[in-house]
Amino acid sequence: MLSLKKISVVQFKNYEQKQWLFNQRITAICGPNGSGKTNLLDAIYYLCFTKSYFSRQDAQIVQQGKSGLRVDAIFDKDEKEHELVCIIRENNRKEFWADGEEYKKFSEHIGKFTCVMIAPDDVELITGNSEERRKFIDTILSQCNADYLHWLIDYNKILQQRNSLLKASAENNRLDESLLDTMDEQLSEKGQLIFTARKQFTEELIPAAIQSYQSIAQKDDGININYDSQLLKNNLLELLQINRQRDLYLQRTGFGIHKDDIEILMNQQSFKTIASQGQRKSLLFALKLAEFEILKKQKGFTPILLLDDVFEKLDAERMHNLLHKVCMEESGQVFITDTHAERMEKQLKAIGAEFQLIEL
Amino acid sequence: MQLPSSLLENAVAQFSKLPGIGKKSALRLVLHLLKQDVNDVQHFGETIARMRRDIKFCQRCNNISDGDICSICANSFRKQNMICVVETIRDVIAIESTQQYNGTYHVLGGIISPLDGIGPDQLNIESLINRIEKEQTEELIFALSPNIQGDTTIYYIQKKITHFNCRVTTIARGIAFGGELEYADEMTLARSLANRLPVQQYVK
Ligand SMILES: Nc1ncnc2c1ncn2[C@@H]1O[C@H](COP(=O)(O)OP(=O)(O)OP(=O)(O)O)[C@@H](O)[C@H]1O
Ligand SMILES: [Mg+2]
Ligand SMILES: [Zn+2]
Repeated sequence: MLSLKKISVVQFKNYEQKQWLFNQRITAICGPNGSGKTNLLDAIYYLCFTKSYFSRQDAQIVQQGKSGLRVDAIFDKDEKEHELVCIIRENNRKEFWADGEEYKKFSEHIGKFTCVMIAPDDVELITGNSEERRKFIDTILSQCNADYLHWLIDYNKILQQRNSLLKASAENNRLDESLLDTMDEQLSEKGQLIFTARKQFTEELIPAAIQSYQSIAQKDDGININYDSQLLKNNLLELLQINRQRDLYLQRTGFGIHKDDIEILMNQQSFKTIASQGQRKSLLFALKLAEFEILKKQKGFTPILLLDDVFEKLDAERMHNLLHKVCMEESGQVFITDTHAERMEKQLKAIGAEFQLIEL
Repeated sequence: MQLPSSLLENAVAQFSKLPGIGKKSALRLVLHLLKQDVNDVQHFGETIARMRRDIKFCQRCNNISDGDICSICANSFRKQNMICVVETIRDVIAIESTQQYNGTYHVLGGIISPLDGIGPDQLNIESLINRIEKEQTEELIFALSPNIQGDTTIYYIQKKITHFNCRVTTIARGIAFGGELEYADEMTLARSLANRLPVQQYVK
């Protein structure tokens, strides 16, 4: 069992200095637009992942006009208290501490305190390009398998080097074949490992997502999901060798796990082009809930669930099903935001949940 | 920074070209030299100028040397059929200070990284391969940075020498992941040299 007891922030986005204590499994966070609801969820996310869910750069989360920030929290994991502290110093040096010890590498922290965020902009996962879906899978896999992140980092470095070599060969009109051979071997070694991990993982993720969709919508809406990879038919080394001339001509690597995607169909047509907004949102929740299920199973404890603005665009029945599922059928801690305190209270009471209300 | 003398200013400008030296430290160093005896400073300047002018690179291994062949290559007590392949002269110095290695070196001058515009041609790879063939080297030990570019360099060279009868090993990666050889402390480095792995095993 993982839960957050207390969090305090200093110069974090709109918060100069603020502290919250949480005493219920379900926390409802209410306040008007721009009051800092999403930012509070992001502070929680920040401590789990050492980075913001929304901003790529740490500079954007430091309060405007200030330098440095601090986020610290007390988590409870398996009856033991853990103190996490993140500090960005005035000189922009970032430190991350767990129980009084500073991490040498932030990646060591990943996977120890897990949370799943569901935010409105996440529909990009369904409507955006394939990169979004690879990022989704990679984030989960990195938390479950410490090697995976290293494979991915290595793969991307080799890929960059290979693309540079292709470019340099075109410019100099001369190719060092044996160097390209070497890189092909290095790339396929990592690519093959990543492929196997993704394949295994999606075999678990996809059925879980379809099942979650059904429990939110009470029907499957004809949805079909597949892991799509060039490596399903051929191993990467062969693909690279067969397509070498093409790669040399285009000066970039056309085959590999960087082209993977999750294909989503609705009645055999592309889901993103025909699904309604509510259906898209239902599928988004279904994918995120599948993530939640898998992390729970892999980690042996329930991740913290961060639900931002989930009340928009779902009909009353789907909303009720979703809330019931995450608040009542699951036993983990849930943070949920809404602009209307009454709407939220009504919904939570309807499912019979006990909760703490924080008004911003 | 406003300085009262252009002579001073020129000296500060020269010092601040050095790595890790900012304007302030440069000024501190120059003011220190100003307090010294004129002859001492003369000697200081000449030592540096002579170092740059007279130093040579070993024709066999590219290590720094006073003559055509460096003192390591010239030492007949060292195993001449064993070559440790390193990136820079700094690595030679780091490994020498462990006193655990008794073979010769080959300084590549870097590692393969097309992203940084460095291909095999820019490095002393061809001379290494010629050397292995001519000297009938028995063991090649790679002590390159434990990163992707280091791997690429090892595999690339390995491919070129498969037809020679030369054992290829790499120092065990007791060295921190992503860390440069230079920063490994002497103990880890000494241990890595003792536990060499054949490259096949290291490729996984
Ligand atoms: N680096 C920063 N420094 C200062 N203020 C910031 C910073 N980043 C964001 N903010 C402020 O935080 C506020 C947004 O907070 P947040 O997104 O949490 O609101 P919200 O309560 O979720 O609103 P909504 O209901 O619209 O989703 C904005 O007023 C924004 O200007
Ligand atoms: Mg918000
Ligand atoms: Zn020499």
